[in-house]
Amino acid sequence: MPNPHDNSLAEELGRLLQALEAAGKTSFLGSPDALLNSIVEAAARIFGAAAASILLVNEAEGVLEFKVAYGSSDHDLVGMRIPLDQGIAGYVAMSGQPIAISDVAKDTRFNRDFAKSTGYVPRSILATPLLAGDRVLGVMEVLDKINAPSFGLQDMELLGLFARQAALAIDLAQGINNLSTTLVFGLKRLAASEAGQPVDDLLAAMQARPDASSQADLGKLVDLLNTFSRMGEYEREMAIKILGAVAEYGQNQHQMITGTGWR
Amino acid sequence: MNEEGQVLPAYSQPFLQTAIRELTARGPLTAITPEWAWGGSTGQGVRVAVVDTGIEYDHPAVGGMVRGGVIVEWDDSAKDKLRYIPDDQPIDLAGHGTACAAIIHGIAPEAELYSVRVLGRNMGGKAYQFAGGVDWAVENGMHVVNLSLSTPKQDYFAMFHALADDAYFKNVMLVSAASNFDEPSLPSLYASVFSVASHAGKDPFTYYYNPTPPVEFGAPGVDLRVAWKDHGYGTSTGNSFAAPHIAGIVTLIKAKHPELTPFQVKSVLWACAANVRREES
Repeated sequence: MPNPHDNSLAEELGRLLQALEAAGKTSFLGSPDALLNSIVEAAARIFGAAAASILLVNEAEGVLEFKVAYGSSDHDLVGMRIPLDQGIAGYVAMSGQPIAISDVAKDTRFNRDFAKSTGYVPRSILATPLLAGDRVLGVMEVLDKINAPSFGLQDMELLGLFARQAALAIDLAQGINNLSTTLVFGLKRLAASEAGQPVDDLLAAMQARPDASSQADLGKLVDLLNTFSRMGEYEREMAIKILGAVAEYGQNQHQMITGTGWR
Repeated sequence: MNEEGQVLPAYSQPFLQTAIRELTARGPLTAITPEWAWGGSTGQGVRVAVVDTGIEYDHPAVGGMVRGGVIVEWDDSAKDKLRYIPDDQPIDLAGHGTACAAIIHGIAPEAELYSVRVLGRNMGGKAYQFAGGVDWAVENGMHVVNLSLSTPKQDYFAMFHALADDAYFKNVMLVSAASNFDEPSLPSLYASVFSVASHAGKDPFTYYYNPTPPVEFGAPGVDLRVAWKDHGYGTSTGNSFAAPHIAGIVTLIKAKHPELTPFQVKSVLWACAANVRREES
């Protein structure tokens, strides 16, 4: 149903989105890289490991991707990918169980080609899954215990605690990123729409981004926005203010998370 | 970590040297000795499935005893979402399954090994692949099934419970590693399976019985030299490597006493455990 108020709502949204983009935000919350970096570095130092890294599952492409790395050849590793169903990290991702193994490279070609391509062949590895419930988000690993031939069970238990922190940060950031990316995308479509059927446009935009959990939340948000926009001038302004507050809250949360490291 | 550290994976705490309980066998049960139970047995004629990452069929540590296998894959288009691909010369994606198979082969050198590969790229349906692998083993004439993997998700409780009961009633011995984490671990928590965690010793025939289950047996699982991918070896730790020790001994018992049912084999294992003393009559 065409509504004369929709145009001004669209204008307001357009201004809000321009302001967001001017501030360099394409979504409300950035990645938790800084936090993960500090977790990985702290883990390496506490375990006396030469290197440590976090790999995230990319199931669509069947790979594990290095997200952060500390220590030997860390600058090469970030962004590198290994098959999800191979090797020690692959085993941990597939099984959801931790593993400590040492002296592997001495006897076997196991993953050595890949390790060589990174210029680093580890002697001992301790790897543990990053879990959200029973879902494996990725793998955290520490390599080469200094002054010891292998990682022990105590190390395994302790790394599990670090992994829990990392998994919480990743799960939270992924969830909020999904929601906020979808929200911004949807709002852009709404702002860009001519008078007419902004809600339909928004729903179409949502369907173009198949993310079930975000959709349900966004659906509620769209209903609310629509309700506000039909109530009148005051309610529309209030809706815009609320959105602004949400954006601000998101940015604050982002600063809080990235600013809370071990250092 | 070794004994001095006094740290073992959560379910292995009952098998710390300081925690092991001394138990007593009395009456006719004292006649059940390791010599009676598995003396002279090589595992000949027993089919053992390793449900895992696959077995490297030509790894020297499995001695050419891999007789076949299957790959259980997730398939959205299939009726029950699973596809079973025969795997006569299996490979191992990671090395973990070969490590387990080699431990069994080391204890029961003439047992036939079957690779049931259930781990792969699919992350969402892996509990179903796992269950499908157990089901394949039960339906394809396996006598002993090593499960050095588990799922913590309670949603699958009924599915795995039904499978474990089915195996039990068909006289298939499911040997199941407890999780290395302190979490529910299916199917290792069911009474119908042989649940295993780790002790820090190295002798493959030394295992303990835990009178306070769910985990009933403790076998070597710490800093073990294990077979690994690409004809390799490594040193590793985990309940994953304890379970195949019990699977190997169960295989020996089954080969020598084919008539025994799972609860009878458990009784034999209990009577022969290193912490069970035989009371002289």
